Amino acid sequence: MNFKRDEMIRYGTIAAIVLAVVAPFLSGNLYLLNILSLMLIFIIFASAWNLLAYSGQGSLGHAAFFGIGAYASTLIAVKSGISPYITIFLGAAVAAGIGILIGLTCVRLKEWFFAMVTFGFAIIVQTFTVSVLTPVTGGWDGIASPRLLSPGIPGYQLIEYYTILMITIASVVMIWYILKSRIGLAFSAIRENELEARAAGVDPVRYRLLAFGLSAYLAGVAGALEIHHIGYITPEIFAVDLSFWPVTYVIFGGLCTIAGPVIGTIVLTIIWEGLKMAGLTFSRYIIVGILLILVIIFLPKGLVDLPDKVHTWWKHHKKPKPDQVPLQE
Amino acid sequence: MYDLGILLQIVFWGIYAGCIYILLATGLNLIFGVMKIVNFAHGEFLMIGAYVTATVFFLTGFNPYVIILLSMLALIGIGAVVERLCFRPILGTSKLNEIFLSIGLIYIFQNGAAMIWGDEWQSIKSPYEGITVPLGSLTVPLDYIIIMGVTAIILCGLYLFLKRTKTGREMRATSQNRKGAMLVGINVERLDILSFGIGCGLAAAAGTLWVVSGQVFNPYMGSIPAVKAFAIIILGGLGSIPGAIIGGLLYGIAENGAAYFLGGVWKDAISFIILIIVLVIRPTGLFGESGE
Repeated sequence: MNFKRDEMIRYGTIAAIVLAVVAPFLSGNLYLLNILSLMLIFIIFASAWNLLAYSGQGSLGHAAFFGIGAYASTLIAVKSGISPYITIFLGAAVAAGIGILIGLTCVRLKEWFFAMVTFGFAIIVQTFTVSVLTPVTGGWDGIASPRLLSPGIPGYQLIEYYTILMITIASVVMIWYILKSRIGLAFSAIRENELEARAAGVDPVRYRLLAFGLSAYLAGVAGALEIHHIGYITPEIFAVDLSFWPVTYVIFGGLCTIAGPVIGTIVLTIIWEGLKMAGLTFSRYIIVGILLILVIIFLPKGLVDLPDKVHTWWKHHKKPKPDQVPLQE
Repeated sequence: MYDLGILLQIVFWGIYAGCIYILLATGLNLIFGVMKIVNFAHGEFLMIGAYVTATVFFLTGFNPYVIILLSMLALIGIGAVVERLCFRPILGTSKLNEIFLSIGLIYIFQNGAAMIWGDEWQSIKSPYEGITVPLGSLTVPLDYIIIMGVTAIILCGLYLFLKRTKTGREMRATSQNRKGAMLVGINVERLDILSFGIGCGLAAAAGTLWVVSGQVFNPYMGSIPAVKAFAIIILGGLGSIPGAIIGGLLYGIAENGAAYFLGGVWKDAISFIILIIVLVIRPTGLFGESGE
């Protein structure tokens, strides 16, 4: 069983990557390509949030880092003229730096306090953006952001898509690598029992800060990618909605797993766009909300746990009645 | 440097804003005390309460201060259903689950309200609009005084309920020691539903008071007051109702002061800045013990 499972995961991963590579050729629809690009960006964002949750910290304000990465990258690109391909990573570094600073205040907090502080932080950042920083950020009106590639280049959307795809794969692989290493072990030790982790010589504060920095960095990359993809940035990027989406995606797919954010984002994007095609507006959110609650109650490990659940249920049902069990020598 | 009259005005407005936070925070505290859960979607009940009041007011034209009873009753019912269907199944699992579940509830309630009532900003006119009362050196709207009175009456009623009735005593026992309460034969699950319902009823009262004071409302208005109420109970101590009252008043005043001296955009941010500063100094809140 275990062997089969590993095989399945391997083939599944390869199939997913192949599908992502050939997807643009299956349909020349530019709208679809745009949705796929945004989906990939949200895979990075959700994975970043999940990395923080892996160390036991559930943030409700990740839009702050998403937005800081986006603003920093845009401003650097505009002021210095460096290609967005490089500024994405510089902007994300700014997000990581600020992430570590805010992390210093909240690594010692309990779940609810932590959620509160991160939620409040996104609002504080938004307030700064539209008040003190207005001369640079353009206030509520926002500013134009340089595109990843100039729209004059033929097939620029395709190149953009592949760039985003490569960064997404690199991010997921990086997270996989981190979580498999001793660092990942330390993260889950802290998450499961902080006291025991400390007794085993793991310094919770240092590792939580590390998780914070890494998570903020990746969230910043995702934010910068999205903004350079869209070409315009407003303070709406710090909205509560954007903080909640990665949480929804990750819970849907499976908290604290590597595949969870990826699967959750893909499945929810399909549901979301499907409902949009069906002409629903507000009720889309209601359906997602109900699905989210159902998943939390009935599938606490998310969709990645579904095959196992079905498998157990299947075995349970096919199990012959005790009096029919053939005698075993 | 600043006129004393303006300072008094800020304090007065702050107390009025504080009334809404106090009702929200008290409800959250009651729920936390009994169930040890935190409902981030608490503000959505405020929003629904506001819409119920406005709808009944538009339909019948009753005095909105009377409708407060109706909206509280409606929300006690909704709260009981939400507790039974959503929070009961996850009691005792990871604390993060409550936060995630609240996000689902926020989606459902906000967009449900937007479907029923539309998502534009609305407002209603109080029958006492424009009437002002001279109070010392300032003249204040009559509505604000009535709102403070109503808040005081509701809080006194809650106090009497908790101190003098059998159910109230059971509720206090459960919040002190849930297992012990179970052992002496208290039906804690009934109290879960009841306390959640009452908490939502208090949020509905806050929503009604929000509406009658002439403030605008839309389906997305609930999140920020709720998070502030949550910040208040962190400052005042989880489960402590006097803490919620003092914290609520201080928050209202601080917020109005910030809005006056720093500008309107700082109104929301200042409360979180206070919160973060307090938590940096004391990670479990001002009066909190272990946060458990």
